[in-house]
Amino acid sequence: MSLLCVDDLIIEFPSRHGVAVSVKGVSFQVEKGEILGLVGESGAGKSTIGNGIVNLLSSPGRVADGSIKLAGDSIRNLDDEAMRKVRGRRIGFIFQDPMTSLNPLLTIGTQLMETVQATLGADKEAARARALELLDAVGIPEPELRLEQYPHQFSGGMRQRVVIAIALAGEPELIIADEPTTALDVSVQNQVLELIRKLCKERDVGCILITHDMGVIANTTDRVAVLYQGELMECGPTMDVLERPQHAYTRSLISAVPRVDVKVHRFPRVEYIEKAESKPIDVKNHWLGVKESFGSVENGELLKVENLDLRFVTKSAFLEKNRKYVQAIDNVSFTVKDGETFGLVGESGSGKSTTARVIAGLYRPDNGRVMFAGQDLGALSEKQRRPLRRQIQMVFQNPYSSLNSRMTVSDIIAEPIRFHDLAESEMKIRQIVNDLLDHVGLGAAAGKRFPHEFSGGQRQRISIARALATRPRFLICDEPTSALDVSVQAQILNLLKDLQDELGLTMLFISHDLPVIRQMCDRIAVMKQGGIVEINDSDSLFANPRQEYTRNLIEVMPHLDHLSRDGLDVEMPLNKAVV
Amino acid sequence: MKTNQILAGVVVAGAIAAGAYYFSGTGEKPEVAKTDPAPVTTAASQDIVLKMAYDADPVSLDPHEQLSGGTLQMSHLVFDPLVRWNNNLQFDGRLAEKWERIDDLTVRFHLRKGVKFHSGNELTSTDVKWTFDRLLSSPDFKGVFEPFEGMNVVDEYTIDLVTKRPFPLVLNAATYVFPMDSAFYTGQDDKGQSKDLLKKHADTYASRNHSGTGPYRVTERQQGVKVIFDRFDGYWDKQSPGNVDEIVLTPIKEAPTRVAALLSGDVDFIAPVPPTDHKRVDGTDGTDLVTMSGTRVITFQMNQERVEAFKDKRVRQAIAYAVNNEGIVKSVMKGFASAAAQQGPKGYAGYVEELKPRFDLEKARQLMKKAGYEDGFSITMAAPNNRYVNDEKIAQAVASMLAKIKIKVDLKTMPKAQYWPEFDKRSADMMMIGWHADTEDSANFTEYLTACADETTGWGQYNSGNYCNPEVDALVKAAGSETDPAKRAAMLQQVEKTLYDEAAFIPLHWQNLAWGASSKAGVSKVVNVMDFPYLGDLVVKE
Amino acid sequence: MLAFLARRLVQALIVMFVISLISFSIQDNLGDPLREMVGQSVSEAERQQLRDELGLNDPFLTQYGRFLSSAVQGDLGQSYFFKEPALEVILAKLPATLELTFGATLLIIVISIPAGVYAAIRPHSVLTRAILGFSILGISVPVFLTAIFCIYLFSIELGWLPSYGRGELVPVWGVWETGYLNKDGLLHLILPCVSLASIMLPLFIRLIRSEMVEALHTEYVKFAKAKGLRKARIYFLHALKNTMLPVVTVGGVQIGTMVAYTILTETVFQWPGMGFLFLEAVNRVDTPLIVAYLIVVGAIFVVVNTLVDLIYGLINPTVRLAGGDK
Repeated sequence: MSLLCVDDLIIEFPSRHGVAVSVKGVSFQVEKGEILGLVGESGAGKSTIGNGIVNLLSSPGRVADGSIKLAGDSIRNLDDEAMRKVRGRRIGFIFQDPMTSLNPLLTIGTQLMETVQATLGADKEAARARALELLDAVGIPEPELRLEQYPHQFSGGMRQRVVIAIALAGEPELIIADEPTTALDVSVQNQVLELIRKLCKERDVGCILITHDMGVIANTTDRVAVLYQGELMECGPTMDVLERPQHAYTRSLISAVPRVDVKVHRFPRVEYIEKAESKPIDVKNHWLGVKESFGSVENGELLKVENLDLRFVTKSAFLEKNRKYVQAIDNVSFTVKDGETFGLVGESGSGKSTTARVIAGLYRPDNGRVMFAGQDLGALSEKQRRPLRRQIQMVFQNPYSSLNSRMTVSDIIAEPIRFHDLAESEMKIRQIVNDLLDHVGLGAAAGKRFPHEFSGGQRQRISIARALATRPRFLICDEPTSALDVSVQAQILNLLKDLQDELGLTMLFISHDLPVIRQMCDRIAVMKQGGIVEINDSDSLFANPRQEYTRNLIEVMPHLDHLSRDGLDVEMPLNKAVV
Repeated sequence: MKTNQILAGVVVAGAIAAGAYYFSGTGEKPEVAKTDPAPVTTAASQDIVLKMAYDADPVSLDPHEQLSGGTLQMSHLVFDPLVRWNNNLQFDGRLAEKWERIDDLTVRFHLRKGVKFHSGNELTSTDVKWTFDRLLSSPDFKGVFEPFEGMNVVDEYTIDLVTKRPFPLVLNAATYVFPMDSAFYTGQDDKGQSKDLLKKHADTYASRNHSGTGPYRVTERQQGVKVIFDRFDGYWDKQSPGNVDEIVLTPIKEAPTRVAALLSGDVDFIAPVPPTDHKRVDGTDGTDLVTMSGTRVITFQMNQERVEAFKDKRVRQAIAYAVNNEGIVKSVMKGFASAAAQQGPKGYAGYVEELKPRFDLEKARQLMKKAGYEDGFSITMAAPNNRYVNDEKIAQAVASMLAKIKIKVDLKTMPKAQYWPEFDKRSADMMMIGWHADTEDSANFTEYLTACADETTGWGQYNSGNYCNPEVDALVKAAGSETDPAKRAAMLQQVEKTLYDEAAFIPLHWQNLAWGASSKAGVSKVVNVMDFPYLGDLVVKE
Repeated sequence: MLAFLARRLVQALIVMFVISLISFSIQDNLGDPLREMVGQSVSEAERQQLRDELGLNDPFLTQYGRFLSSAVQGDLGQSYFFKEPALEVILAKLPATLELTFGATLLIIVISIPAGVYAAIRPHSVLTRAILGFSILGISVPVFLTAIFCIYLFSIELGWLPSYGRGELVPVWGVWETGYLNKDGLLHLILPCVSLASIMLPLFIRLIRSEMVEALHTEYVKFAKAKGLRKARIYFLHALKNTMLPVVTVGGVQIGTMVAYTILTETVFQWPGMGFLFLEAVNRVDTPLIVAYLIVVGAIFVVVNTLVDLIYGLINPTVRLAGGDK
């Protein structure tokens, strides 16, 4: 008898407009001590299944059919009180974001001990002893001291450890971990996953690991179930599925994963997800292809950043000496050559986005220069700078907040053209906008609609179209795909690559994601705490990292040795031994 | 009543009711509000307490500090005058037992013997003389005593009041003489100030301490909160039927709250009662409404210096004809006023029975036409909005009435605090002014409101119309030294007629007075048109 | 902590200075204080002489300078009407106002928290609809009407509660007379407190409801459920504690505002507090008292906000008062 037996599970969300079925007859089992991965993209229903098992579905969701058996006991249709006794006691839960799953106003001790008391019925003393033991088990040093502290006094990884401790508090038989490492930096991610794996094995606890990340699946799970739009595509031992995917969707998903072992020219077969057809335009004779002269590009160096410094005030005070600062950018210098893609990579807080914003002119640096096409942007007047600014455009991370929701897509894209007065007539503007929409794969008809009618990937296409509308020479992409599903990410990365080829764009590409950087960039700068650790061309950097820090970064990346290479258009083979 | 209660109980938020009910104890309901100190308690063994609420409490315990209704109300409780008005507007002797005119300039007063001050000192002519001299130094009262040369002590219980010229209103002035205990007010207080110091804005001994001969002593006073008056055991007037042992005066500024306090039985006596609540007070079992035609006249003045047209008698008359003051009394004042066509009310020496309100729109239009203002003109108008009963509404009514003879009015109303400085500046073409004669005499109206402005005499101080008719001034001046009442009345009546004919001002109405009281308190016997009830004589039914 | 308090003190002084300057500069528009001090027949010359005595004819700067130099010694001038130092007059009325505000605040807390929490937990129940409907009614009815209605109902018709004043008071520590320690005083407190509370109550019910709804949708509440905690603990510890953060902030400002609303409430109920005193002072053009009142209210605002910040710091561990410990 399996520990958890889910059979033909159907979960619905009834609403005024009808019933949306988000899980359509899914069945799977979890054994004791086994880690089952539930993988899929947004809308696949993987979190819904996790919540459905313990009846934590947000209203009006409900389990409509199927059976859920925990060690033989049906736990579907339990009343509130009975279900409460299952939660924590028999099934522990780990949520995605440790920043939000801990109550900020209560100490770690309170939150741990209340769980122990609720699940094991222990008294205060015993609960405290158990809490200390748990903190120790999840690897939190000085548990006595930590018990009295509040969540904000912990780092992200430490918090997730606390969450794991809480999930284990009631000695559950099963743990459901819903995207437990998505909000964490890569280096921390590995430790947390390792901890979950170790604890499950040690304590013979079954685990459902919900994730969208193939790397996590590959490194942590024993078996994997692939979900697509509420349906189970395939389920099997992790290695089998990754190396020999049976279902077309699984193959498509795997091929869209950016990897470090090979560099692909384009990601294949991603059309399974979102229809996007780009109508290529004859760039040479099109408005987009018109080259403008805006200064000299010496030695092919389009952008040159020299000794940038920027600090933010963290504590303001009247007296200079009482103020406190954080050094966001510390003596950063690099050059970007005309036509190349330059990558900035680093963990959160390393200063990569801030650097991009300084270049885009959103922040003024305290020291240093930004030279664009031979001119010092900081030394120019606002009026002189404008034609140069137009050559530099930005694509932001979050496509949900960076588009004005009250303007039509046409107006959003036309705005910079009108502002810079780049076209002679309204007719012409409309034509350009339509061409751009065609070009980024949305189709001219999309112009009449509003941003909220589009998915995340489509919105990012709109952002790109808008960025292109000023005929820029230089595109800054700040984590352009980190909010997107992996297949959509592959599409967007393809689009960027295509555009670069056609328009001869120079790009500054910022990401925390090493595989993405690897796929996109010619040269890469690794940043840490505001400074640059190392700059090298992409292949050499991954093959021979010169700095310890870079080496660590590369090491902690999920290892994806087993991914199927089916259908990949490999640019050049890489010596596998180096990775 | 029963259904009302049930209905109301349903309407209300349960929590509040429950809380209130809980606190009200066992649920034998109206008891609670009437716990100790019991208002108008009738048990023979207990003191009779009268709880009363006025719109304000006295500014000071010093009777000479401010000439105002509040001070006079207090003075009649704590002090006693030489003589006082009765309801026929005649004089009753109080501390003066009798009096006689000795010659044209002198009236002799014989003081009551054996009258004790609150301090235990006995009243003698020294105290009266001391008081009179102090009055002459009071900024507020010295105007009233301007015609007087001084007071002479004849013997311990006899005094002479001497005037500068023959003066008809000696007794009127004597109502303002509330003898103070000269021994009590002599010396220095603990601040080193003289005890008789009279100063408006200073913390003086006399403003906080008192020793008079009146029926009550102040035993507790929190300014703006309450004053407690205790019956003075040694009160001289053993004939007084008054049986109230203690009076608790609470100022309740808001009229609806004041009325509610009466209706709920929290207090036994209130004044004033706003016109809108007359019916309720009258109609509720256990409370009575007492009204009386008052003596304060409300008028508009037309500024001849600002508006050329106002110099024309016909224009002024046209306005007088255009203003339907009886209509205002009926609709705005809800009948709580008497329409006026002259300054002084009935009972005053100058009152002329034949002068009647003269609303006649057709005539008004003709007069405008004759004066050459058929097409009208524009003027500004100003009125206070918190000084007189319904002052703002009255002004609005008058403004709309003037529109009918094509006088366009730009009306501005403001709180009294801002209005008086504007009035002093004569800053609008027509301004509202109400007046009550401190002397309860017709001449006083003309002296302040319609006489030619004269800084040396102070006449015409409130004449914002700048109406000036030397004949009228001469008549009033002559009346000021005419001691034959009949001749004097004829003069003052002539004045009223002239002012009426010339339409010197626009008379509106005399405000009525209204008091509300528990039926047990025989309030109607002690109230009067001057609005200082003689509460010493109040009888509460046992 | 000390630095924090010191900074607040400096702020308070600046606030009071600005208030004094403003109220001083508008005093000429308030009217002529003399009019309320003298009888109708007093001549203009006499009044001028009195104005001179009071220094009202001096140039603005002279008057203000005089005010400031005595203000730094704690003397905010002498009330014309009460003939006592204005500050003393106001402080004597402060307990009445504070007791009223305290009562109203207590009512608000006792009613709005359960009502708001209930409305958030059971959004579709009949009682929730009733609570929200009632709160709309409360928002739209002016306090004056509420007060009059309460008096009419409970004093006149039902006769349960007294209609005005503070009733019998019990002295405490010799400086404070309280209405909270005997039945009569408590009875007198009910209607004014209810009326005053009625202004803010709907706001707080709605605020607590919406904050609570938000808190109930947070991850940590979901996590608390997943931990197997009892509902009561989830609602009243996890959700409510977070709900109270914005409520405390808004509440602090609103309680300050409530001091202003006491002007109306106190006037209707003849409650002998500062607000009523202020209205009277305006009517009488008692300028020193008006100025002193405004300054005291400014100080109350600063004090309340300081307390709110301190409380906020107690509830929220992520806030360390600047210059505070650690």
